[in-house]
Amino acid sequence: MNELLIEFLGGFTKTNQWSTILPEIMLGVLALALLGAEMALPKNKQTLIPRLAIWGQVIVLLFVIACIGWCNVGESEYFSGLIIQNDMTQIMRAFFLVSSIVVCYFGQIYLSKQSLPKTEFYALVLIIAAAMMLLVQSANFVMLFVALETVTVAFYVLVAYSRSSQFSLESGLKYLILGALSSGILLFGIVLLYGIAGSPELMGSSRDSLNYNELANFITLNTNNPIGVDNMIVKIGALLVVAGICFKIGAVPFQIWVPDVYQGAPTPVTAYLAVASKAAGFIVLIQLLHGPFISLKEFLVPVLSVIAVATILFGNVAAVTQRNVKRLMGLSGIAHAGYLLVGVIASLYVPWAVYAVIFYLVTYLLASFAVFGVMSLAADADDANQELDHYENFARKRPFLGGILVCGLGSLAGIPPLGGFIGKLFLFVAAFQAGLYGLLGISVLGVVISIYYYFAWIRECYFSAPSSAVVEDASGGTTLGDRILLGALIVATVVIGLLPAALPIIR
Amino acid sequence: MTDTLFYVFAAITLISALLMVVSPNAVNGAICMIICFVTTAALFVLLEAYFLAVIQVLVYAGAVMVLFLFIIMLLDVNKDTSDLLKDKMTLGASITGFTLLVILTLSVFAGGQHLPETALLPVMENPTGEGVGIPFTTSAKSFGYSLFTKYMLPFQVTGFLLLAAMIGVIVVSKKHSENS
Repeated sequence: MNELLIEFLGGFTKTNQWSTILPEIMLGVLALALLGAEMALPKNKQTLIPRLAIWGQVIVLLFVIACIGWCNVGESEYFSGLIIQNDMTQIMRAFFLVSSIVVCYFGQIYLSKQSLPKTEFYALVLIIAAAMMLLVQSANFVMLFVALETVTVAFYVLVAYSRSSQFSLESGLKYLILGALSSGILLFGIVLLYGIAGSPELMGSSRDSLNYNELANFITLNTNNPIGVDNMIVKIGALLVVAGICFKIGAVPFQIWVPDVYQGAPTPVTAYLAVASKAAGFIVLIQLLHGPFISLKEFLVPVLSVIAVATILFGNVAAVTQRNVKRLMGLSGIAHAGYLLVGVIASLYVPWAVYAVIFYLVTYLLASFAVFGVMSLAADADDANQELDHYENFARKRPFLGGILVCGLGSLAGIPPLGGFIGKLFLFVAAFQAGLYGLLGISVLGVVISIYYYFAWIRECYFSAPSSAVVEDASGGTTLGDRILLGALIVATVVIGLLPAALPIIR
Repeated sequence: MTDTLFYVFAAITLISALLMVVSPNAVNGAICMIICFVTTAALFVLLEAYFLAVIQVLVYAGAVMVLFLFIIMLLDVNKDTSDLLKDKMTLGASITGFTLLVILTLSVFAGGQHLPETALLPVMENPTGEGVGIPFTTSAKSFGYSLFTKYMLPFQVTGFLLLAAMIGVIVVSKKHSENS
């Protein structure tokens, strides 16, 4: 019996190839090493820690890029089907690493102005990056939920990180309560699917019913079969899972938390939430819609279309009257989530739309990080209250940052030579090919509205009345590193805008 | 013997649950809740779900209740002993709860005969569907087998989840002293 048991259990561990998730392990080890380094290093050497975090991640990033270049993974399954790696997940790994590197850099700028614990910030950012990389690779609801909770729990901490600021604590509490609610909704949906697909009396039931493939088989058998059972429970389960994911991407009607949390959280954390967390949500949504829920297309597409329309309109209209720039970025982020949802819906009809979504996420990453970087540098110690008025004559006071801000906002608005325009163009072409004319019209309308508030900000920077004395802001100059990083983000935006093929995801 | 034990524990569970709800004193309510949790664990033991019983005692009766008691003591809720059915919230909650209870009772006793009565299928813990598989039991061993083979990766990731939560508690609660 014993040998039999060991042999049987060995069958599971055969596919536990830890080397396939080496980047994630490296990030986890790096996070632990940072915590250790804080204890080991003397007080005057503590500035090494952010450098260690950033350069360590750069090494992991090079490793991941080398992996993408050298070994074509195709589609391979590891850890008894918990993890599936393919081209998309490899690209997203690099995406999350780039965003966590940039966030660590902004964190360094932010933390230098605050009296807050330093090392823990980087450790949490690294843990989130590793968990998001696992999240997009997961092919089983157990793995999905554990990775998602790791991301969310670490984000609760980061949002409330500035413990002396009331805004930060308030937004941390709001994010905690609403995040827990959304996790509950998601888990309820997962449990319903697990229960119904694991019921041995139903056709196509599976003992491993949390696995995406097994669940897809089950749902297909019971949806397209005339003698299949009424799959109301499956529909409710799928709806609840999609609702849980919609919370993470900030789609209407789960967008209530976005403005408050974006305003209260430290600016680097806001950037991380806006870019990486949202991207992870979209990739998971794509995987679920193309995986287990593919047979529920007729049911889910109308639901998602309504959500997309409401999201685009709400985000853009609410942003018009907004004066606080962090809330403005949050609300415009809702609108971007709406455009991306259109792309996700289109990807159910036009397969290449998946890459349009990823392309859009990349352009959104570059432009958003440029804007958030300027916000980090422009903010004083109290960074929750950044009003549009603070940017009065900004371009005259700090011409370099003003230029970066204009390019970033222009890309977000979708102005032609910049990457954001091409990203929107790809999404809209995909929507057109998929025949989603109504959604396309609403999206274009949304873009037109968005130009109003993006340009209001630009106008504030460049064309406000020069009544106030123009003085060079000596308090926070930009270092060479800031200039290189922000410049690189903008150069990448322009290059992608002029030569979309420079990005390897478009074939 | 088992039947008698079941009735005894079930009665204690119900009574303590009722006392917990109607108790005007928050600390007494919490104590009643602990009794309710422990007797529920005893019911799990009667169902031979030993692992679940242990977890019930450790997590609910232990950790969660300690947290509750802490909060009760910190917030000093005891002062304002409010009248029952004072506000609309309590009334609404009671009506909803009562309705759910009626629906549950009806569906158990009246709707019971409509449910298909099937024999429980023998469940083998063998998700791959190959080889012999091992019998699924409720003992802690069975959980260990899956946890350390198939679900090793989520298990490890959970470790990082707890680490993140722990770091968070320290960062948010500890006052940072800038002595550099």
